[in-house]
Amino acid sequence: MNLKMLSGISLGRVAIYLILIVFALLYLAPLYVMLTTSLKDIEEIRSGNLLALPNDPTFYAWIKAWSSACTGSECNGLAPFFWNSVKIVVPAVLISTVVGAFNGYVLAKWKFKGSELLFGALLFGCFIPFQVILLPMAILLAKLGLANTVSGLVLVHVIYGVAFTTLFFRNYYVGIPTELVRAAQLDGAGFLNIFRHVFLPLSTPIFVVTIIWQFTQIWNDFLFGVVYSGPGTQPITVALNNLVNTSIGGKEYNVDMAAAIIAALPTLFVYVVAGKYFVRGLTAGAVKG
Amino acid sequence: MGHIQLNNICKSFGSTEVLKNIDLEIQDGEFLILIGPSGCGKSTLMNLIAGLEDITSGEIVIGGSDVSDKSPKDRDIAMVFQSYALYPTMSVGRNISFGLEMRKVPKAKREKIVAEVAELLQINHLLDRKPGQLSGGQRQRVAMGRALARSPKAFLFDEPLSNLDAKLRVEMRTEIKKLHQRLGTTIVYVTHDQVEAMTLADRIAVLKDGVVQQLGTPYEIYNDPVNHFVADFMGSPGMNFVECVVFNDKLIIESASKSYQLAVPCAKAIKDSGLESVLLGIRPEMLTDPKPYDDSGFVQEVCFDVEVVEPMGADTVAIGKWNDTEVQVRLSPESGEVAGEGFTLQVDTSKSIIFDPRSGNRIR
Ligand SMILES: Nc1ncnc2c1ncn2[C@@H]1O[C@H](COP(=O)(O)OP(=O)(O)OP(=O)(O)O)[C@@H](O)[C@H]1O
Ligand SMILES: [Mg+2]
Repeated sequence: MNLKMLSGISLGRVAIYLILIVFALLYLAPLYVMLTTSLKDIEEIRSGNLLALPNDPTFYAWIKAWSSACTGSECNGLAPFFWNSVKIVVPAVLISTVVGAFNGYVLAKWKFKGSELLFGALLFGCFIPFQVILLPMAILLAKLGLANTVSGLVLVHVIYGVAFTTLFFRNYYVGIPTELVRAAQLDGAGFLNIFRHVFLPLSTPIFVVTIIWQFTQIWNDFLFGVVYSGPGTQPITVALNNLVNTSIGGKEYNVDMAAAIIAALPTLFVYVVAGKYFVRGLTAGAVKG
Repeated sequence: MGHIQLNNICKSFGSTEVLKNIDLEIQDGEFLILIGPSGCGKSTLMNLIAGLEDITSGEIVIGGSDVSDKSPKDRDIAMVFQSYALYPTMSVGRNISFGLEMRKVPKAKREKIVAEVAELLQINHLLDRKPGQLSGGQRQRVAMGRALARSPKAFLFDEPLSNLDAKLRVEMRTEIKKLHQRLGTTIVYVTHDQVEAMTLADRIAVLKDGVVQQLGTPYEIYNDPVNHFVADFMGSPGMNFVECVVFNDKLIIESASKSYQLAVPCAKAIKDSGLESVLLGIRPEMLTDPKPYDDSGFVQEVCFDVEVVEPMGADTVAIGKWNDTEVQVRLSPESGEVAGEGFTLQVDTSKSIIFDPRSGNRIR
């Protein structure tokens, strides 16, 4: 009787694990192919099996992708564009997150006439497809003298991102009891002091969520990058596209794969480091005092 | 110092009027209780006094100066919230000193005050903990400590004990009373609990639908309510209300299929009102076991069919009917054991009060 139950449970368990393993392998397969291909030399790729491990692993493709692969007419690899992306992403993420935090704080706890309408408008902003604003934004950037500049791209990403960051922070702060604001008001704290001493210390999870979200969005952006950047300001996604589409001589799959992984590494890194906060932040409920 | 005057205060949220022409004067050092059913505007009134909401019209004067347009921090008032609203990320010590910190009190002085307050409330050992690591009663103390630290002109308590269990509530009640006697600071205190109201208050204000029904000492509110609402609201078990036909200057009741004539104190007023029937209000403790003879003229024995008994320990509440209306009476535990049909009840109408059955107003 006992044994039967045990084997019943473990049979179910085994089935579940089998299914999970199969799906995990399915999802990991492309990454595996990318990694192994990037470590093979081009002869081995042409002659060998797609799924085989590299005979003689080499970092040739990685070094070339980073420093000497051709992206259009120049051949300096992805490195300069990687730093372009960093210059765009870091300020854009920080500014949009800070602005979103303040917006959310105001919309959740300092309601004013029309604040609900403003929130509705911001929410609407989350649903506007990129393509719709391409042309008007190009005109605006030109008028501001920011066309083809890093600052221009930062501005675009901040504007687009603020709708999302505001939504995140507002929904998080709505869960914090308003009585905390009132108590702090009576204690003599003003708008900024209440934010700094009461709200900010409670905000770590939502900051992590917002930063991960914004970082991934902006790092992976291609459309804004391709439209609003100039020759010296292209982000890495655009460069990756150019690299893959530029073939002098034969197609170097190993370099393409290495380049793709380099372009994806920062977002992967962020998820691995902060992923557990991400889940925690998304599920964090109201704060009990 | 802590004298608070509310002149003709009105408050509306959009088109709903929540408070209507509130006039209240709270003396320096007074303990005023606001009591009333849920949604009658008690919290709103507290928020108005604290400056957390703007008044629609009227005037609030604290310590002699008009503060109607002042922000909460300039009113020098502290509030204890029902949910305590402790800052979750700050230690207990910092929770208490935060108000001082915001008011730029030097660090050494802040530490001294925190130590004093902690001593007073016996929370010295908790100063380094976070609010999340405290029990309900301890949080309550910390919330009071936060209010005490600033030595404000007045304290506002919004149902501070309603989250505690019954025993702790009684303990804290006593402690708040002691604290008030020690500090002598004005307190405005909201509660649902009428025992709390009776035991703590210097004066009680009974609120209904945003209107002050009656303002008076606990004795006045209990024994001399101005209308049916106040009489019904205060007291547990509540006052009995029986509609009776007026015969000459007496009231007719029917109990256990027998008819009785009750003499009541305000007989002349009843006659003058010309009403054919009135509402008799009589508290359960005036309907008791027979006691030694009393010649006030308001005491008589009535035969009573007891339908249900509810032993409460110190005494027993028995329920029966007069004029087909349910009536609660208060018996000794011993007679509670034997009470049944045809029980002999002593009725003392000397403290009974009479209402107009339609308007609910007193006839006196
Ligand atoms: N911000 C607001 N907007 C609209 N109506 C409100 C607002 N705050 C309170 N009210 C309304 O005002 C009335 C009084 O509310 P209040 O919170 O003062 O009641 P209360 O007497 O404290 O009740 P309770 O005993 O349940 O705490 C209620 O009908 C409530 O719905
Ligand atoms: Mg309330």
